[in-house]
Amino acid sequence: MKNPFHRPLSAFWLASSAIALIVAVILPAVLLPFHLRVLQQIFLFGGMAIAWGFLGGFTTYWSFGHTAFIGLGAFSSALFEQWLGPAIAPELRLACGLLIAVVITFAVAILIALPILKLRGVYFAIGMLAFAEILGEASRNFDIFQGAIGVSLPAVSLPGVSSVSLFYWLFLMLFVVNSLIFIALRRSRIGMGLICIGQDEDTANMLGVPAERHKRIAFVLSACMISIGGVLYAHSLGFITTGSVFRVEHSLDMIVFNMLGGIGTVIGPALGTAIMVFVTQIVLGRLLDYHLMLTGVILIAIVSLAPAGLIGLVESRYRRRRSTQIGTAL
Amino acid sequence: MNGALLVQTAIDGLILGGIFSISAVGFSLVFGVLGIVNLAHGMFVLLGAYAALVLKHQFGIDPFFSLLPSFIVLFLIGLLLETSLLSGAVRRGSLMTTLLITFGASLILKDLVVLLIGPDIHTLDSTWTLPTVHVGSVVIDGNRATGLIASLVLLAVLSIVLAKFKIGRAIRATAQETFAASLCGVDSRRIYALTFAVSAGFAGASGVIVGIINPFSPTDDAFWTLNAFVTVVLGGIGNPLGSLVGGLLLGQISTFSSQYVGSVFPNIFMFCALLLMLIWRPHGLLGSSFRGSV
Repeated sequence: MKNPFHRPLSAFWLASSAIALIVAVILPAVLLPFHLRVLQQIFLFGGMAIAWGFLGGFTTYWSFGHTAFIGLGAFSSALFEQWLGPAIAPELRLACGLLIAVVITFAVAILIALPILKLRGVYFAIGMLAFAEILGEASRNFDIFQGAIGVSLPAVSLPGVSSVSLFYWLFLMLFVVNSLIFIALRRSRIGMGLICIGQDEDTANMLGVPAERHKRIAFVLSACMISIGGVLYAHSLGFITTGSVFRVEHSLDMIVFNMLGGIGTVIGPALGTAIMVFVTQIVLGRLLDYHLMLTGVILIAIVSLAPAGLIGLVESRYRRRRSTQIGTAL
Repeated sequence: MNGALLVQTAIDGLILGGIFSISAVGFSLVFGVLGIVNLAHGMFVLLGAYAALVLKHQFGIDPFFSLLPSFIVLFLIGLLLETSLLSGAVRRGSLMTTLLITFGASLILKDLVVLLIGPDIHTLDSTWTLPTVHVGSVVIDGNRATGLIASLVLLAVLSIVLAKFKIGRAIRATAQETFAASLCGVDSRRIYALTFAVSAGFAGASGVIVGIINPFSPTDDAFWTLNAFVTVVLGGIGNPLGSLVGGLLLGQISTFSSQYVGSVFPNIFMFCALLLMLIWRPHGLLGSSFRGSV
């Protein structure tokens, strides 16, 4: 066996995910636009929550400022596409925008990773928060970034496909790609190293895990995927300002979704996103005033009652029941 | 460079710094003693201002005399929060848990303020303030000077309590070495609850001063939490002197950057200062952290 730490993916698991994917792809044919929009949000923010977990899921480097990369991606693509001008087809501009956003985010993430990954725990969290604030303030206050007045993005469309369905598929694609990256990462040597770093960084370092490099790879990868999410999100909005993409709420949502579902898993953030989006959009659709309070209550309840998230809750039940049959964990 | 403008900027920075200091001292104490970052701190500051607002509108009490009532109200809220939700997480030593719990609490409190009082911007006008003084072409605003003096007095009171009183010694001992302190008969759980409550109380009192000087609204809490964090990182964790140094420095950074670079820059400069300090000297300028923090 190549990797003795992980069981191979079971046929049942592969088959059920394939069926789920096929169902998800054909859903736009049967659903109402409103429900499709709710699903859009689940896939977009769920995908970003998974990307947040590339670093935060394995280690204690919990970024409180990942919205910086949403904003970075959104603004770099929007400004570049504006510069390209309307002569070029919107779809081509979207592709160029994606490319330039990834390049810029990659460069910025590498630069910021060097100093900020030296910080640990809460200092990293607040450092990222400050980084996001600096970018947000810069985009709002420097006229060349047009953050205060806003930037329009070209309307992307494919013949015969409504824009709701188009973005549904784009977000679904992002979600699937991020999930695959997460699974590949967790089963790779880097993922193993990251888990060791999460348990005890100094010991991991001492035992020869290249902690700095692993952390940097996870951080930059996470930043780039979030940035792609930001580009798609900006195009689905059609018009962005600093206030719509550099939001502390976005950073926070990624953490809440992960906490709610179960941190360090791929189903956890997806489940967390689905529950929170469902609760806030459908159940509380008419009670927007209580939105913040409810988020706070759910956050405190999860953290106090189920620190490992819903997945962790289910797993511990399951394990307790089977503990008589299995001698060793793994 | 214009001399009077320079002096004026320095004085404005001093006054602003005084407010930053007093609003951060509670945050610093909790960080030093309980080892947690209280993300609800900014909300505590605002709640202090709102307590004074309610007292003023319901009973006609001048905000200047609401310092003590605000302190007491926030002391009780802090005590309740610590004993009900936080103490378990603090004992488990889970930093992220406390971060999320305090953030959740701040969201709930913010929503409560919006629902009960409203999202509008308010101000507190006090008639018990010093007159505005003109020295040459330099203006010293009476309201702000009163705020600065009140801040310094409160900081001095806290320093004396921490340095001279038995309870202060217990708090400092718990901060330095919790286990050894409990062996010497200090009830660390009680000290934790008390420290959190006192820090919330000071946040409440500072909120009154903030309200006298600046307009405030329920969405300002992130600003005050971040300011407290920057102040603590600049000055050092856990003692009032560190907060004073950090706050005054932050005030100067803020006013000088807005005066000489541009009015949109103070936040950018503040956060850059935060990032640079975190990277170079995470223990603060005074280097007086109680615990290994990095």
